[in-house]
Amino acid sequence: MTKYTVVSPRVGTPGAEFDADLAVMRGANIEALVAGGFIKVSAPKPAKNAKKDIDTNEE
Amino acid sequence: MATTTYLSNPDVTIATVNLRDQCTAATLTRTVEALESTAFGDTARFNVGGLENNELTLTLYMSYAATETYATLASLVGTQCNVLVSPQAPTTPNTYSATNPGFILTGTYLESLPVINATMGELSTIDITFTGGSSSVDVS
Repeated sequence: MTKYTVVSPRVGTPGAEFDADLAVMRGANIEALVAGGFIKVSAPKPAKNAKKDIDTNEE
Repeated sequence: MATTTYLSNPDVTIATVNLRDQCTAATLTRTVEALESTAFGDTARFNVGGLENNELTLTLYMSYAATETYATLASLVGTQCNVLVSPQAPTTPNTYSATNPGFILTGTYLESLPVINATMGELSTIDITFTGGSSSVDVS
């Protein structure tokens, strides 16, 4: 699921996550908000370090 | 004494975009069309309620800057959207009450947008009208 970040204070607190589902329920056009610069697609979080998933405990 | 003085607080949200700081006047009229039901034997005209025919008129300063008036409205012309007007901006966003109701038009239609309204030496303003849509009041 695509996540969005608030850019313009007209739609929320800048930097906060934009609740697209709630906005759509309230009649927002997400594509228009992105095109107008009100919100932006959040950058995907960096993948978790693979080493963390490996059990290095030799016991 | 029943008076309401508007100073600076009314809230105007169009398709989730808050344009309060560009708006100088808002009139939302809830109308239920009168259908005449007068019949033989009546001595006066009577009506029953028909379809809702609501309307919201806004006066806005025109701005072509990013995320301002034009950027908000340009994509809405010829489409339906939701609008919300309340007497005061709620301290907590989207939280309204009986004494500060949020008046909502759902699926209201923006037929036209004046893209230029220029007069020498004056701030540019536009009047837009949203027509139709179902009316509700948020007091939660």
